[in-house]
Amino acid sequence: MRIIGSVWFRFREMRLRTLPSTLWKGWRSLGPTAQGLGIVLAVLGGLGPVLPVALFVFLILFMIYAAWAYSINLITGMTGYVSFGHVVFAGAGAYALAYGVTAWGIHPLAGVVAAGLTGALLALGVGVVTLRLRGAYFAIATLVTALAAVYIVSGTPALGDGSGIRFYLGFQIGTQYYAIWTLLASEIALTWWVTRGRIGLGLRALRDDEDAARAVGINVPRLKLFLYVLSGGFAGAAGSVFTWFNSSAFPDAFQLAYSLDMLAMIIIGGMGTLSGPWIGAVVVNVPRQTLLKLLPQGQPIVIGLLVILIALFLPGGIVGIIRKYIPEARRYLE
Amino acid sequence: MTARLKAEAVVKRFGGVTALDGVSLEVSQGAVLGLIGPNGSGKTTLLNVLSGTIRPTSGHVFLDGERIDRMPAYRVVRAGVAKTHQIPKPFHGMTVRENVTAAATFGAGLREGARVRDEVGRVLRLVELEPRADVPASALTVQEKKRLEFARALATGARFLLLDEIFAGLSPEEVRASIEVFRRVQAELGFGAVVVEHVMRAVLSVAHRVLVLEEGRSIAEGTPQEVVRDPAVVEAYLGQEAARAPT
Repeated sequence: MRIIGSVWFRFREMRLRTLPSTLWKGWRSLGPTAQGLGIVLAVLGGLGPVLPVALFVFLILFMIYAAWAYSINLITGMTGYVSFGHVVFAGAGAYALAYGVTAWGIHPLAGVVAAGLTGALLALGVGVVTLRLRGAYFAIATLVTALAAVYIVSGTPALGDGSGIRFYLGFQIGTQYYAIWTLLASEIALTWWVTRGRIGLGLRALRDDEDAARAVGINVPRLKLFLYVLSGGFAGAAGSVFTWFNSSAFPDAFQLAYSLDMLAMIIIGGMGTLSGPWIGAVVVNVPRQTLLKLLPQGQPIVIGLLVILIALFLPGGIVGIIRKYIPEARRYLE
Repeated sequence: MTARLKAEAVVKRFGGVTALDGVSLEVSQGAVLGLIGPNGSGKTTLLNVLSGTIRPTSGHVFLDGERIDRMPAYRVVRAGVAKTHQIPKPFHGMTVRENVTAAATFGAGLREGARVRDEVGRVLRLVELEPRADVPASALTVQEKKRLEFARALATGARFLLLDEIFAGLSPEEVRASIEVFRRVQAELGFGAVVVEHVMRAVLSVAHRVLVLEEGRSIAEGTPQEVVRDPAVVEAYLGQEAARAPT
């Protein structure tokens, strides 16, 4: 007994001494960008209980956009495959939740999970076919899926034909807030994870030169599909929160404009970076919810112009340009 | 038993064009096979078939008796056959060391950090790229990019290398230096190789045997000395050059 007791004592001592330092080491290894995003997320999470409703609304919409930006960043940002069809996953997620809560009466959180699975499965199916194509051909193929989806959904009686699905679940703004917060935090963690280690190395290789990546033994098709499925899953889940928030799903959830917004955010922020989607979401979504409310027709023009200017003069987006001209910032901004 | 890379009656058609018309070859580990022939004779196509980059219309490729002609390219690499690109394709956004690390990580399947670092360091020393290890690959000269292709192929741990014009586009001194490096590394590691080359002097000095292609068929095979004296080869390929040579 004495032996066991002393072993146990030493074990406890060891844990007590090493746990804080392990945590500290883990925190340090995240790097400044992830730390910064982590702090912002913690603040957003902590503010939940004390937020006024108007701010809830603002932040939920903002986080939905940011979640979409991180989702498309996983495929387009990481691999360079431009997906115009991302709205399909978002829209499918939206309808999955709407259908689930109306037809089966499931809890909306279960609806969000179902929406994520729907998006992921759809991405698996679409990806197996379209990811064989490269460059412009992939972009066109995904564009076609987006155009087709509107017609398919509008013509499906179970999904309300063209008139959509409406539902009312009561005032659940707090749950919605934490649902999208959780999604966004998971995406950021995932983005951080895939840019590191073995997968990160494979991704950088794939983005630089796909043929060479194959030639050094990288399973390129699997890597692309893996990212596409994750990307589709998160786009679907975020889309379902949007629908939950709006208490309805209409065929215009498949509007191409959503795909373009998602692309705009990562082009403006910086493709394939950890902080770029967040910055892009701020640039695209915050004005939309404030200043640009005054001129609804002008929104696409302003955002479109911004995208063109950035693509022409600042390839790499805001993050890219800062990293290029301020070398000292490279350590802090991924 | 020494390992063997073997192609049997490989045919490759692109639409109506027959690029390879029943080519067979065999290389054992440690041996260097030179592959020569006029432009458009099918040399690069043959390398692409051997590396799994394209699938043959008919015919088979075996590595140690295992068929590899239906495998995706990345699996052929892991099985032990790596190819370099005629026009170097470095990962531009990475340093030289990271380029080679990618090959050691995925091609050779090394997982442990220290082993990867050792292996990468060893390969960079072998091909004399060590002083440039931490330079971005985009900043390399043509010769260095070709060395990097070679280094990446080595780092995959492949037992057979398919080298597509690694001496082309270099100055005579660079060719000499690169031949030197190739022979030393080959002797040290003992891999088998198929070397496609336009620079005749280079092929003749690195290859143990030479296979000559013309219009997708092999028209001669033998030691470099035999092949250059073969009348069919002289006519098909060496014609002008041999006529001019002061023998």
